[in-house]
Amino acid sequence: MTNPILEIRNLHARIEDREILKGVNLAIPAGELHAVMGRNGSGKSTLSYVLAGKEDYEITEGEVLLDGVDLLGMEPNERAAAGLFLAFQYPIEIPGVATMTFLKAAMNAQRKSRGEGEISTPDFMRAVKEAGASLNIDASMLKRPLNVGFSGGEKKRAEVLQMALLAPKMCILDETDSGLDIDALQVVSKGVNALRSEQRSMLVITHYQRLLNHIVPDVVHVFSDGRIVESGDKSLALQLEAKGYADFDSEPA
Amino acid sequence: MLKPKMPVRLNAAEETLIAQLTGAGDSAQAERLSVTGLPTRRVESYHYTDLKMLLKSVPPLVGAANTASAPALRLAGAYRLLIANGEPQASATAPAGVIVGSSDGAALSVHDDVLVRLNTAFAKKSLSLTLEGTVDPIIQIDRRTEGTAAHSASSARIFVADDSSATILETYSGSDEAHLTNNASYIAVGRNAQVTHITVDLSSDGVTHFATNEYVLAEGAKLRTLAIHAGSALARTQIFAKFAGEGAHADIAGLNLVDDGQHLDFTLDVNHAVPNTTSQEVFKQVGRGRSKAVFQGKIVVARDAQKTDAKMMMQGLMLSDQAEILSKPELEIYADDVVCGHGSTCGELDADSMFYLMSRGISRAEAETMLVRGFLKEVLDPIEDAELNEALTAVVDDWLVGGK
Ligand SMILES: Nc1ncnc2c1ncn2[C@@H]1O[C@H](COP(=O)(O)OP(=O)(O)OP(=O)(O)O)[C@@H](O)[C@H]1O
Ligand SMILES: [Mg+2]
Repeated sequence: MTNPILEIRNLHARIEDREILKGVNLAIPAGELHAVMGRNGSGKSTLSYVLAGKEDYEITEGEVLLDGVDLLGMEPNERAAAGLFLAFQYPIEIPGVATMTFLKAAMNAQRKSRGEGEISTPDFMRAVKEAGASLNIDASMLKRPLNVGFSGGEKKRAEVLQMALLAPKMCILDETDSGLDIDALQVVSKGVNALRSEQRSMLVITHYQRLLNHIVPDVVHVFSDGRIVESGDKSLALQLEAKGYADFDSEPA
Repeated sequence: MLKPKMPVRLNAAEETLIAQLTGAGDSAQAERLSVTGLPTRRVESYHYTDLKMLLKSVPPLVGAANTASAPALRLAGAYRLLIANGEPQASATAPAGVIVGSSDGAALSVHDDVLVRLNTAFAKKSLSLTLEGTVDPIIQIDRRTEGTAAHSASSARIFVADDSSATILETYSGSDEAHLTNNASYIAVGRNAQVTHITVDLSSDGVTHFATNEYVLAEGAKLRTLAIHAGSALARTQIFAKFAGEGAHADIAGLNLVDDGQHLDFTLDVNHAVPNTTSQEVFKQVGRGRSKAVFQGKIVVARDAQKTDAKMMMQGLMLSDQAEILSKPELEIYADDVVCGHGSTCGELDADSMFYLMSRGISRAEAETMLVRGFLKEVLDPIEDAELNEALTAVVDDWLVGGK
């Protein structure tokens, strides 16, 4: 049996004095797409940040393996080089950095980590143009500083554009559907589905069953109070939509 | 009862300077320095740069340059003028609109300032430049101190004729020795003339670099200045700008790149002496290692200078815990119908931005470089000449990747 792409074992993490992740266990085999749903504040974004290597958290227990390799000792850029990608719930605006400069730096960093030379400008332009077109991204948007003045939906599309360009083996999408209009949801879903492959796994965090009509998950997990409390097939999402989270609360609300 | 004033106790640097002044035949300045000593932090304009404490010794006065280092900054299209060890050197045939000469004595006006007095005492010759019409090539004044460690003074006097335009770049560099250099530039911007003046200190590690840039703006003149500190152990650039004609405007900018062990100071004195003039001052300071960055900015608006509009901003970025960034903005306003303001901010690189960039595979060092570049864009972007902009960007990038 081959390794799962992502394997999380008994992960505990705290910020300041507060424990947010309280024993997360999750394994995503190659080629599978798992959805995570859960109440506001249950710790979903925290999980995504901890996986991507944000400094603010203290990991008190557990381990995370990406394709069998320990992730927790790595810097965020090393995790990216290892094939992890996080589409942020709230992408960061960086006024002094041009979007195109950033995209090129990210692509070149990835190529460097593989021992490849820098991408040529025409190849880069072509790649961005193609990926941008399939996500209905306006070229003028890419001329602006990174994420600055992008609408909520534009920011989310820009995240998926980055994901398409970097072609990671493990994609984490944190509420990529929030802020998207109905048409954009279709476009972005199509973009995500186009990236699904036998070699790539995805973890999709969402509040809405609607997204899962477009991006059909192999497994749905319910997240509550810092851990996964239930897992099932896609029908679990429908059940949540109908009945809410009350059944899954670790302690009655 | 008045306490009798104690004579100052002179240190080695002061003793040497006094001897050098005496040797140069300037007994009046020698006498003055022996009474006052070098300014300490109690002198307002040297509050953060206590020269008496910082200047430990003064090397011997410079002789003629017998060796030559390479230009610190090469611009393919520029017309280059060399001042070596304070002496203006022979130059190639001047392009249209440029008259090159040299004159005896220094170039600065009288200021109550020790660095100005020392420059005036020691600069024997000034490069003199007259610029007329649309001067096409960038004029580069390449000032170098060659040979063994020396105390050198250099001076340039530049007249930009009415309705003319020119871009002047000055660079400071030299042999890898602990020189003390004291440089002066006097620039008169004629009526409706447009001038860009950029100074870049690229002196080697042990150098003490002083520069005074004096500007006088006639009616309708437009001036853009950018001073960059990217070298030396101790540096201070003084910028004195005087608005002498109505309708003049100046954009005055500085970039203080301060590394471990350095103390770099910008001191600014902008004098709006007549009505209807505007100025915008933007200074950015980046500190790394254990270092000290200083900005002192004073804007004076004279009683008659109604409708003055002046805005001054200092922004500091600390790349280490031990980097000190100091800022002292001052407004001295004697007119009542003016718009003046100043602001100062200081911070570290934004952690969320760093994480975002790194999460895309970009290394910590490169992410830092991208963010610092972004921080400095505001002062580099207005430099329109593409080649010059590129050269200055390279100075910044070299500093960024040359981290200790
Ligand atoms: N820097 C912080 N300091 C203290 N508490 C924090 C910090 N960051 C997050 N938290 C807390 O951690 C908990 C989990 O937050 P997280 O963002 O992971 O929730 P989430 O499941 O993604 O919620 P949502 O569905 O609203 O996005 C919340 O109670 C939040 O207030
Ligand atoms: Mg969240």
